[in-house]
Amino acid sequence: MASEAYTKYRFYLEQRPTMLAVFSVLAVVLFLGVTVLSRAHQAQRQAIGERWFNRGTADLNGKRFDAAVTDMRAALLYSPDEYSYQLNLAEALIGEGHTGQASAYLINLWEREPENGIVNLELARITAQRGETDNAIRYYHNAVYAAWPSGQEGMRRNARFELIELLQRNDLKAQAQSELIALAENAGPDPAQQERIGDLFLRAEDYEHALGAYNAALKSNRHHAAALAGAGYAAFELGRYQLAQHYLQSAISANPNDPDSAERLKTAQLVLHLDPFRRQIPAAERNRIVIEAFAAAARRLRSCAGPDVKASAPASVPSLSDEWARLEPQITAVGLRRNPDLADTAMDLVFRIERETSTVCGTPTGADLALLLISRMHEGS
Amino acid sequence: MEPQSKAEDMLTENGNGHSTSAWIQEHSPRAVWRYVFREDRLFLILSVFIGVFSGLAVVCFRFAIDWSRLYLLGTGAVLTPVRMVLAPTLAGLVIAVLVIHFFPTARGSGVNQTKAALYIFNGNIPIRTAIGKFITSALAIGSGHSLGPEDPSLQIGACIASAVGRKMRLQRDRMRLIAPVGAAAGLAAAFNAPISAVLFVIEEVIGRWTAGILGSVVLSAVSSVVVMRWFLGSESLFRIPAVELKRPTELIAYAALGVVGGLASVVFASGIAWLRPVCKALPRWSQYFQPAIAGLLIGIIAVLGAPQVMGAGYEYIDQAMHGQFTWEFLAILAGLKIVATLLSFVSGTPGGMFAPTLFIGAMLGAAVGGAEHVLFPHLTGSPGTYALVGMGVLFAGFLRAPMTSVFMVLEVSGNYSIIVPVILANTVAYLISRGLQPTAIFDLLTRQDGLELPSMEEQREEDILRVEDAMQPVDGPVLDAEKTLDQALQQLDRSEMERVLVLTPSGWGSVSRQELLTMAREGKGATTLGALLPVAPVPFLHPDHPLETALRYVDRWPLVPVVSRADFRHLEGVVTQRYVLERYREFGEG
Repeated sequence: MASEAYTKYRFYLEQRPTMLAVFSVLAVVLFLGVTVLSRAHQAQRQAIGERWFNRGTADLNGKRFDAAVTDMRAALLYSPDEYSYQLNLAEALIGEGHTGQASAYLINLWEREPENGIVNLELARITAQRGETDNAIRYYHNAVYAAWPSGQEGMRRNARFELIELLQRNDLKAQAQSELIALAENAGPDPAQQERIGDLFLRAEDYEHALGAYNAALKSNRHHAAALAGAGYAAFELGRYQLAQHYLQSAISANPNDPDSAERLKTAQLVLHLDPFRRQIPAAERNRIVIEAFAAAARRLRSCAGPDVKASAPASVPSLSDEWARLEPQITAVGLRRNPDLADTAMDLVFRIERETSTVCGTPTGADLALLLISRMHEGS
Repeated sequence: MEPQSKAEDMLTENGNGHSTSAWIQEHSPRAVWRYVFREDRLFLILSVFIGVFSGLAVVCFRFAIDWSRLYLLGTGAVLTPVRMVLAPTLAGLVIAVLVIHFFPTARGSGVNQTKAALYIFNGNIPIRTAIGKFITSALAIGSGHSLGPEDPSLQIGACIASAVGRKMRLQRDRMRLIAPVGAAAGLAAAFNAPISAVLFVIEEVIGRWTAGILGSVVLSAVSSVVVMRWFLGSESLFRIPAVELKRPTELIAYAALGVVGGLASVVFASGIAWLRPVCKALPRWSQYFQPAIAGLLIGIIAVLGAPQVMGAGYEYIDQAMHGQFTWEFLAILAGLKIVATLLSFVSGTPGGMFAPTLFIGAMLGAAVGGAEHVLFPHLTGSPGTYALVGMGVLFAGFLRAPMTSVFMVLEVSGNYSIIVPVILANTVAYLISRGLQPTAIFDLLTRQDGLELPSMEEQREEDILRVEDAMQPVDGPVLDAEKTLDQALQQLDRSEMERVLVLTPSGWGSVSRQELLTMAREGKGATTLGALLPVAPVPFLHPDHPLETALRYVDRWPLVPVVSRADFRHLEGVVTQRYVLERYREFGEG
């Protein structure tokens, strides 16, 4: 009976169903075999990729960008989706100056991780270089608020620094100012950083904050030449010439090769010297300064009313000249002693002459500049 | 066709229905077993197995190519000149020995061999062919010969399918079709594009759409792609750039790409058509050195500054798509790749033409796009878009698979917005190539090998005779089954026809004059025809049916009605065996 049944179904038992079962087993076995093979293949590729990556990273760190690009490309052959490989290749390409190729990689990476700080920062730099200011600002903002690895927190600050510089370059003062204030609030005591903040505040013409930043920088190093010079500059611009003189003198002693500070110190000293309205000054001394300033204004008026300038000079210049000529006989030591109000009249004329001539003949130097600054200092009083 | 099959069923069952014994017979365990493992169902199950096996084989093939490349050319992105020259040369020598002495059927790309299996060898491809193809192609591509892995994968899939079919002792018609099922699986896995693989096999290997084969081809292609993605991931072969067409006027630029691509296809195909017979005609001993010489020349091209031409070159397609080459260099690369592929292919080195075609297309596309950007800076298409379209253009122009070319670009890019430029450029390239090089590359290779395989392109363009071409108007009466026999005979008296059609409520029948007269003599004149006649149901045809459909009926039914598709009672004409044969004779005479 059984043999009959077997004979009856032999064809099916021996052929198709059995073969299908064999195929199923074979498929499973082959699948397992290929899995082992695949793992070995993958491990080998990964190892080769890592080898090229390490070599590329060393080249990148050593600024050998050409070699780094080749190495990173090789690494990417084995792990084309490896984030760090693509990022390093992009950085190497940037180093080599191939920003177009780099941006293709960076955009790819940005699409994968829009919150990555380095990618945003590099994209910001490239777009800024291309003059795409809006995109650059967007990427810089992303970089500022991005996730940065714990060891690279400084990069966030760098991103903000670069953002501020970009905003300043593009004359977006309000945005730059707000970013700068935020940066200053979160900045650490690092003197180099404070000095950089001070420089940016100076560029933003926020001298008060600049002075604060330079002072912060000087806390840890009182002889920091650049910070002293910056503080001197800020104090000078704020009209605190005494303070400016102090900082600038220190700056020059810390760095004697600083002609800007030397020039500024000279001016500050002249301002302090030629200001007849400074407190606790003897009357004789004040009168002497008035006479000196009056004479300087005359020289300035003459040089400005010379044949080259005369044509373009406004009508007020000759009238100032007349005024000066009318007042000149009275501006003597005796005259000033007799009539103390004359000093004010004389200095008023001096200030007007300096202001008027500075618009016609450009910013003066030396005593004239000092007088001009003194005039600005007393403008409101 | 429903009334038709119904009519046939009625004929086979003769109106009696199933008997009890027949029911028992039909539900016996053996019958159920047979039902479960019916040939068509079994074929579908086998398709999945074929897909899995082919997918696994293609994964291993990819590993083999990769290992071959690593050990022969080195691991770096920049190859050393010594390796660039020595690897393809020495590999060429080894390949020649293997092909001549051990695997003679491993030559060529594999597409024609699969077609030959279908049309000549009843689906039989020795498994040795797959082994040979696997080893020699992996060695060739890995060592830097300018060939691709897709066509060999196609052939490996076909070999696996053939082996599976032989083991299952499939019927001959199924056995014939199994090779294309495996071919689709192999190609789909190699290309990571199941739709394109299915289309290519239908378009270039099988040549016709039939429901029976389509299901199997799709199943095997999908299974193999699933297996391949399991191991190698689902990423495309290259990173696809953003694609958009902002202004319709830019289509002119893509049409220009079609023209350039069409001409490049002709140059490429003509080169093969000329050089292949020259190489084959050389003395037999020279065949040992042909792949090595090809390898040496490719190595020299690489050393002279274009290492991109070595191997399949997908990584360089990626770079071209992302604007990493100047348009001048891209144009040079396209030209050098044509030369390198020509050398590799005509030397008899086993390997595929798909990857080089895509490479040339991508380089040419990006070059044309770049040049157009220089001339017309307002164009918005990126180099990547042009490269993508260029791939389709060469596929349409060189491989002459226009449908596959369009879907391949769509599938690879995953972007529908590229379809209009692709269709336009591909059509232009196809028409130019078709006009200047009338024989498609696969047909050309077949003929050079002395085979007479059907040309799919010619088949596609062949005129098809339809029933309406042989149909004649009805010049006699058409009887109504509601009428009496006497009325019918009166109608028939006015005609000389020996056999007439009878319209019944459920379809059509026919009856002869003799049968009617016999019934009249039996005194049944007042009875309706419907009640009287054992009216034999006659299948009907529609005017748009292929004429060969009529051939199935005209020998069994002397008069076959041709009816409207809207209403089967509306008779448009009739066909007879004589009409059909006359029409075929006239067609044959041109």
